[in-house]
Amino acid sequence: MVKDSYNPFKTAQEQFDRAADMLDLDQSTRDLLRNPIREFHFSIPVRMDDGQMKIFRGYRVQHNDARGPAKGGLRFHPQETIDTVRALAMWMTWKTSVADIPLGGGKGGVICDPHNLSQNEQERLCRGWVRQVYKNIGPTVDVPAPDVMTSPQHMLWMLDEYEILRGEKLPGFITGKPVGMGGSLGRKEATGYGVIITLREALKELNMNPSDTTASVQGFGNVAQYAIELYEQIGGKVTCVSSWDQEDQTSYSFKKQDGVNLKELRSITNPFGGIDKKKAQDLGYEILPGEAWLEQEVDILLPAALENQITGANADKMSKRVKIIAEGANGPTTPDADKVINERNIFILPDFLANAGGVICSYFEQVQSNMNYFWERDDVLSRLDSKMTAAFIAVSDFAKSNKLNMRDAAYVISVNRVAQACKDRGWV
Amino acid sequence: MNNKKSLDLLIAELKERAKELTCLYQVQEILNNPDYSEKDICNGLVEILPQGWQYPDICGARVSLMGHVCHSKNFKETPWIQNADILLQNDRIGRISVCYTEERPKADEGPFLKEERKLIDTIAERIGQHFLHQKLKFIFEEQKYAGKERKSEWVVIFDMLRQTNPQLLVRLSRKMVNYLYWTGIKEAQILLERFSPWYENKDEILEENRPFKKRIDNDQVNLGYEIFEIAEKYLTPNQILESIKKWTKEDRSGFMVNVLENMGSSLQDIDTVLERYYHLAPQMIELSEAREHGLKVALIRKLLTEQSDYISVAKHHLDIKSFKHLMKHIIYPEGSHGKLGGKSAGLFLAKQILKNFEEENEIFKEIKTPKTWYISSDGLLKFITFNNLEEIVEQKYNDIVRVRQEYPFVIQVFKNSFFSQEIIKGLLNALDDLGEVPLIVRSSSLLEDRVGAAFAGKYKSLFIANQGTKEERLMQLMDAIAEVYASTFGPDPIEYRAENDLLDYHEEMGIMIQEVVGTKVGKFFFPAFAGVAFSRNEFRWSPRIKREDGLIRMVPGLGTRAVDRTSNDYPILISPGQPQLKVNVTIDEIIRYSPKYIDLINLETGEFETVEINDILKEFGNDYPIIHQIVSILRQGHLLQTRPMGIDFKNDYPVTTFEGLISRTNFVTVVKDILDVLQKQYHHPVDIEFAHDGKNFYLLQCRSQTAGVEYMPVAIPPEIPPEKTIFTANRFVSNGQISNITYIVYVDPKKYSEISDLGTLKEVGKTIGRLNKILPKRQFILMGPGRWGSRGDIKLGVSVTYSEINNTTMLIEIARKTKDYVPDVSFGTHFFQDLVEANIRYLPLYPDDHGNIFNEEFLVSSENLLSAFLPDAAHLTDVIRVIDVPATTNGMVLQILMNAEVNKAVAMLSERTDITEEDTTLLNQGQSVRIKQTDVHWQWRLRNIEILAAQLDPIRFGVKAFYIFGSVKNASAGPASDIDILIHFIGNEKQKSELLSWLEGWSLALSQINFLRTGYKTDGLLDVHIITDEDIKKRDSFAIKIGAVSDPARPLPMGTALKK
Repeated sequence: MVKDSYNPFKTAQEQFDRAADMLDLDQSTRDLLRNPIREFHFSIPVRMDDGQMKIFRGYRVQHNDARGPAKGGLRFHPQETIDTVRALAMWMTWKTSVADIPLGGGKGGVICDPHNLSQNEQERLCRGWVRQVYKNIGPTVDVPAPDVMTSPQHMLWMLDEYEILRGEKLPGFITGKPVGMGGSLGRKEATGYGVIITLREALKELNMNPSDTTASVQGFGNVAQYAIELYEQIGGKVTCVSSWDQEDQTSYSFKKQDGVNLKELRSITNPFGGIDKKKAQDLGYEILPGEAWLEQEVDILLPAALENQITGANADKMSKRVKIIAEGANGPTTPDADKVINERNIFILPDFLANAGGVICSYFEQVQSNMNYFWERDDVLSRLDSKMTAAFIAVSDFAKSNKLNMRDAAYVISVNRVAQACKDRGWV
Repeated sequence: MNNKKSLDLLIAELKERAKELTCLYQVQEILNNPDYSEKDICNGLVEILPQGWQYPDICGARVSLMGHVCHSKNFKETPWIQNADILLQNDRIGRISVCYTEERPKADEGPFLKEERKLIDTIAERIGQHFLHQKLKFIFEEQKYAGKERKSEWVVIFDMLRQTNPQLLVRLSRKMVNYLYWTGIKEAQILLERFSPWYENKDEILEENRPFKKRIDNDQVNLGYEIFEIAEKYLTPNQILESIKKWTKEDRSGFMVNVLENMGSSLQDIDTVLERYYHLAPQMIELSEAREHGLKVALIRKLLTEQSDYISVAKHHLDIKSFKHLMKHIIYPEGSHGKLGGKSAGLFLAKQILKNFEEENEIFKEIKTPKTWYISSDGLLKFITFNNLEEIVEQKYNDIVRVRQEYPFVIQVFKNSFFSQEIIKGLLNALDDLGEVPLIVRSSSLLEDRVGAAFAGKYKSLFIANQGTKEERLMQLMDAIAEVYASTFGPDPIEYRAENDLLDYHEEMGIMIQEVVGTKVGKFFFPAFAGVAFSRNEFRWSPRIKREDGLIRMVPGLGTRAVDRTSNDYPILISPGQPQLKVNVTIDEIIRYSPKYIDLINLETGEFETVEINDILKEFGNDYPIIHQIVSILRQGHLLQTRPMGIDFKNDYPVTTFEGLISRTNFVTVVKDILDVLQKQYHHPVDIEFAHDGKNFYLLQCRSQTAGVEYMPVAIPPEIPPEKTIFTANRFVSNGQISNITYIVYVDPKKYSEISDLGTLKEVGKTIGRLNKILPKRQFILMGPGRWGSRGDIKLGVSVTYSEINNTTMLIEIARKTKDYVPDVSFGTHFFQDLVEANIRYLPLYPDDHGNIFNEEFLVSSENLLSAFLPDAAHLTDVIRVIDVPATTNGMVLQILMNAEVNKAVAMLSERTDITEEDTTLLNQGQSVRIKQTDVHWQWRLRNIEILAAQLDPIRFGVKAFYIFGSVKNASAGPASDIDILIHFIGNEKQKSELLSWLEGWSLALSQINFLRTGYKTDGLLDVHIITDEDIKKRDSFAIKIGAVSDPARPLPMGTALKK
């Protein structure tokens, strides 16, 4: 037997145990929340293009739905394991909770490699997945969304199958649909804007005027671009942006001391946020090594690219001027770096909270789909603003009153909300 | 304007042809009139003849026939006269003369056109035939009714032939005796013996070396008589007559045999012969199967190529008629004995095969080939002699450095040389025929035929816009041809030829002048899309794809980007057998690996250009042919298939996917059917080039698939000692061979699965990334569990990005059985197209499969250098093992041999080879390939670095020690390798910057030398690593190279040249 191999579910449980200890949760609550409340494992027979049948293994895990219907992605992956799905489902419970939206956490998947499946086979697989589990999911029960190697196309096939089986139109069954097919406007902006909404609130708390601040951004993908857009709107100035260069297989930082011009940068950027180095140079940007974004004389650092970017090794390169780190990416800061950040009293907007704009917008999509009435973009974004602001204030207050850092506060408050809901429902 | 001009020309030409035809008919009418005497015929002819000539007003004619002479009023002896003799069985019975009374511009034969020469000859021949016919009829009638006893018809013919054509008589007799003998008639055997040379003096003939002289004498004629007498006994008169008739028709083709089998016949002769054949066929001439076969082979050999593989296929698909069109499009120097070369021959044959299969498969009716003209292969030599450039031919024997230096000069000299008159005339004809469309001038080398496809691509192909006046277009065309000619003296082909002992062969290169398939869009010209297709897929991205499913690589615009590997862009890959199994599945992958650039011809500048596709679409999207089948639109993370009118080119983001083409048209079927039929007929996998202008599919090239040396199947030695085998593989093996691997990076699957925290798992990936930067480029392999680059469960594959593995030469995934389950491997899916374009090979291993060897002992117990390379990664030594192969094995290296035909691969320890295994065989052809890797690259590099070190002033620059390491030190540097030097620096900042700029100078100079020697362009050749005392103390970065366990840096003495 393999000894002690890495198990993502175990890691998630350990993380929960820490919060549970802080909250001094009773045993039954711990027992309930340490494990998913429901799991579905099933086989999906699919007729392949060559006429043969092939059986795929599918899952849906509902970690907790005390606060509302479970919500979470659906992954197609050849080496999917139930423990990964469980860990991710638990993570979704906390995520919807910290954003304070009336949803629970779930996750699902199919063991398959779409690279080995034709479009038709993928369609049959999607429909097969729905047929196996449609009685246990639905707009008011459990709402799937796209995830690793699944796309809006897959969601539409699944929705169609679900509606056929139920004999009615139920667009709220699934999210991540294209606009016009039950999707929500504002989706592409949501995460980036959300980051800046929390940043704006943080600046308020620190008594800083946004228009007196400068920021350096890592990455120039969707999140970074919209974050910069809103940050500029509230008066801030971005002086440096880094991006990955596919051709050179390395990243570069693009610096302009009197502020980058978002519009012109976008015009020389590919869909992956890769900025054209030569064109940028022609536009007067200074081209620096990839790591340079971290070393800028700015008030705000906005890592919006990859995980593990601010580490124990490079944290001391941050300028003394840095006051806030807003985590647009997932897990950009390592625990080693966290120590430095805490010592230097830098205000951190943890990923968990800062990039909750995405899940809030999914929730909005679901709401709009359920009432079959779709809001204007501005409606979506203003509602996003109030949700994010409220979520930030709650976490921030919780941190202050409990003397926690923002990261711990966000985690603990979310566990607390779920525990309370279970209690209120009389489950524990 | 120009269109109109060429139309006018065309009409004028057609008028000429019509006149000539009318003239011929009139001649025939005169001859057909039974009441006309010879004199009448003469009179009639002189009246009508001038009408057939270009300038009838000033044209006169004279005809002499059997003593009669007539002429038109204006006929006189002028310098502009054309004659043709009228022959009756080789005797002159008359003569036709045509003259112009005034001077007219020079054409082919004085003022006369070559068509007029043909006309006058044909008329003379017709008259001759007419009188022969008269004569024979007369004899026949006479014979038939002269005697009282009615003779058999064959006797009449026999007697007639005895008088008129005894040679034919003998040949017919011979055929008859053979025929009788085969039918089993005993008497014939005796006669047959008498026909044979053995008959008279058997012994002498057998012993003597002298050729036997055959005479036609009365004996033979008499013998013939006997033969026919016997025939009469066994055959009906009708049978005899039919046979004679048939054989006589067959015999008419004798002239073809004479010319085609004659080594000395020129292309001109062949043209004449074919012309005659087409006139005679089918009524007047009939070929026996064997003769037709022989003639076909002779034609193929003379016109196309002598490659036996080709001939054996071509003879089944080409017929003599199919050469008619081809012959009219060949431009050749006078007295030419040239051929068209492999590339031209390949396309010609492929097109013919598809045509022959049109009945079976309707699709092939739609397949086109672009209009093509050819220059025969001796055009190059003629060009050289015509311009007295002979000294350039010797260029090939010069040192390669000199060849490279002088090459630009050679190009200029060639471009400023002249073409002979007949070639220019041919080119003008070609330009008229092709019209004002862009052209591609391709080389079609005979050497390619000799050494196979490995030589392909060494010579230039040039696009020209072909716009402007006819003179301008001619200049452009000649310029391009001269440049393609010059490329035979380019350094790359010369070096290749030198390495393969091919220098002494005369370079004969045919030229193809082909219209570029495409349409005009704005100021640009390009095909909607183009690409290459292979009947074997050597880059499978899914276990469900079989090799036989084939591969298409295609791009929008000109196919250049699909033919060559590109470093910054990706073609779309499709497996025609499984078009629904895509390489790229997620939207991210689809966008990342979609083509971003397009090659096209700018008609305004006449240049070949590469531009971003989306720039073109923004401006001309609505004019781009079938664009809705080429791109999908990215809207809110959703890729939409497009309809003809559904794209807003100003605001949408189009992504090239060819989705519409694949799912809504029969394109993939077309390619698959073409590949299938060609492969079946060639008895060998093929590859084709194609282009599509939005309306039609054009086949541009076809040849047997040998995708370059690196993808040859390699023979797997049967008995490799177990201690020398590292692993064997038996699934999803592709073709090829990787030699001289010096490092193995092995991620132990078991140890990796035991890692219990995420951080360490991720660190393994990062550490691989660091090794990737340190280890010598393309000399190490990465072996690890499951899926490299996995984005899912990290436990089941090392998490790396492409940039963390991009220097390896091979990526190996180990699928170990756990319990009763063998995990899937990834086929490198996550960076599949990066691997393909960078030529990084991929191989999955199944160590638990029965019969497979997996030498875990070697991998686990050899010394692990990880901590020597990366001291801070020492805690991972259990998981990551870095093995220095030569150090562990007494100087041996690892070699991986792969053979997809038998689905086997083996990694074995072997001596370092500069030549890949002598017994490396091309299994499919039984030929041996030799890849000579010259060792000069490291030698001169080392020599120069020694000089550099000797020139370096250690005091001035503050340098304590100077080292060399890496490929130059290890004697494994290739033409693109840089030179790794390590400088132990103890000076100040100023010294450092002075040192660096001093080295920069050297670096650029060395890079220039390297370019001259190899053609590789680099920004500098030196890779300078500066280390300080502190680095050495901490054993940081490259400092570990000093006194390292394996591959230590070698110190070089400094400043020695200065002291002297």
